[in-house]
Amino acid sequence: MRAKTCVLLLSALTLGSVQASSEFADMAPEEILERLIEDSSSAYLGQSPQNRQMMPDNPAYWVAEEGEELFSTPRGPNNVSLEGCDFGKGPGVLEGAYVELPRYFEDTGKVMDLETRLVHCMTTLQGFDKKDPAVKKRHGSGSDMMKLQTYIAMQSNGMEWNPPMDHPMEKAMRDAGEEMFYRRSGPMDFSCQTCHGTTGQRIRASVLPNVNEPHEWTKAISWPAERAGHQNVRSTQHRLRGCLWQMRHPGIVAGSDASIALISFWTDAARGQPAILPDLKR
Amino acid sequence: MKKLTLSVASCATLALSLTMANTVHAESTVDYTKMSSKEAADYMLFMTNSFKLDLPVQEGGTARDRLVQDEIQKICTEFRGKRPDAETAAKVSKMARESIKYPAGGIKLGDWKIGRELAWSGFGYRVGHKNDDHSKAKNGPGGNCYNCHQLATDRTGGNLGPSLTGYGKLRGNSEAIQKYTYEVIYNPHSLFACTNMPRIGANELLTQEQIGHIMAYLLDPESPVNK
Repeated sequence: MRAKTCVLLLSALTLGSVQASSEFADMAPEEILERLIEDSSSAYLGQSPQNRQMMPDNPAYWVAEEGEELFSTPRGPNNVSLEGCDFGKGPGVLEGAYVELPRYFEDTGKVMDLETRLVHCMTTLQGFDKKDPAVKKRHGSGSDMMKLQTYIAMQSNGMEWNPPMDHPMEKAMRDAGEEMFYRRSGPMDFSCQTCHGTTGQRIRASVLPNVNEPHEWTKAISWPAERAGHQNVRSTQHRLRGCLWQMRHPGIVAGSDASIALISFWTDAARGQPAILPDLKR
Repeated sequence: MKKLTLSVASCATLALSLTMANTVHAESTVDYTKMSSKEAADYMLFMTNSFKLDLPVQEGGTARDRLVQDEIQKICTEFRGKRPDAETAAKVSKMARESIKYPAGGIKLGDWKIGRELAWSGFGYRVGHKNDDHSKAKNGPGGNCYNCHQLATDRTGGNLGPSLTGYGKLRGNSEAIQKYTYEVIYNPHSLFACTNMPRIGANELLTQEQIGHIMAYLLDPESPVNK
């Protein structure tokens, strides 16, 4: 009896420590953001009361609803659902999976983000061809990719960013990403640091997040998010592509090693802060 | 005889494309954990098809050229946005000075009305999923000035750089000020080593004529910047 109690207590404690900040996990995205603003008075976080007002009606929720249905629907030549897909915490386990990406996967021998892992499962489990529109179309609220990503990411709302750094490959990708983040090149000599290295910096009217401030950076990397100005839900890879375009750097390939390295670095930079998913941005 | 040559040729092409197909996936045989983070980053940038390196770019050449660092970029990368030490700063400023090309007829102010449009425009040199077509821009690619600077008060500028509101009003219009202004725009490292500001002239983002228009926007007493 005592041993049983001990085991129960131990497992309760273990489960509790999986998400150390469960207070945020029960909050809506706008409530998490509100709390971060209260605690920090960050100009970046607080720059759009209008966007915050819209968050309870975030169109991303509808996109996620469609994603939930897609997830459990048997699809592709193999006619199976994505419930067998392992996002790092076991097949079909979505709770907390997104905040532990990118991570190393034994079955592919690579560090993968959500998008590359989805492509992997859709092509191997479901049997889709890489060129099939279901896999190939990565952008827009109407795409399967964005529906699935938005749904899966939402299951980590309020949880602390916690990408694993135990495997040497995870560290190698993250460290390479750090080098890239600070690397100045191109006709305008820009690095990511040019815009994202100081608090309160503004491009025209937009306040930029500082990579060195985790409470700002958590919102910066909270994708998928509805881009109000685009009227579409956008992904992490879409944000990366957009940055490099404005930086006058060459176009990056989604899921490439360089993209994973940068995303590994930038997720690690938000470590410990609660994810805001889905977010709503300008 | 001709038929045989053709089939040998196509066989060779097939063999070559198979070899190339293997090198496209070279990243899976590369072990990043055995490299320094800088080596791994450079490898990923240039050797893994992570970027569309062969796309043509507006200034000529390909996108690959944009990832190759020049001396100032290599040096300034090390400081990660912090001010370099005095010795490095002096070295960078000297290199920057040596790059400055002054206009043939001497520095002249252009038309502030054109400068106003150039300062506001963020168009130009972007490549990738969309490419800026410079032939479509009336005044050519823009200067991106308002992205980082506040200039006239009728438009919102950024604060990555210092405010330039009242620039000419504060400094006057002397030859010395014109020279200084030209040098900062042409190659800001000449005075601010490892600055975040692009080398507008040295990297040929704007022509000398366009720089003259922006200088007018900054220095002409009639310009909204000075009203």
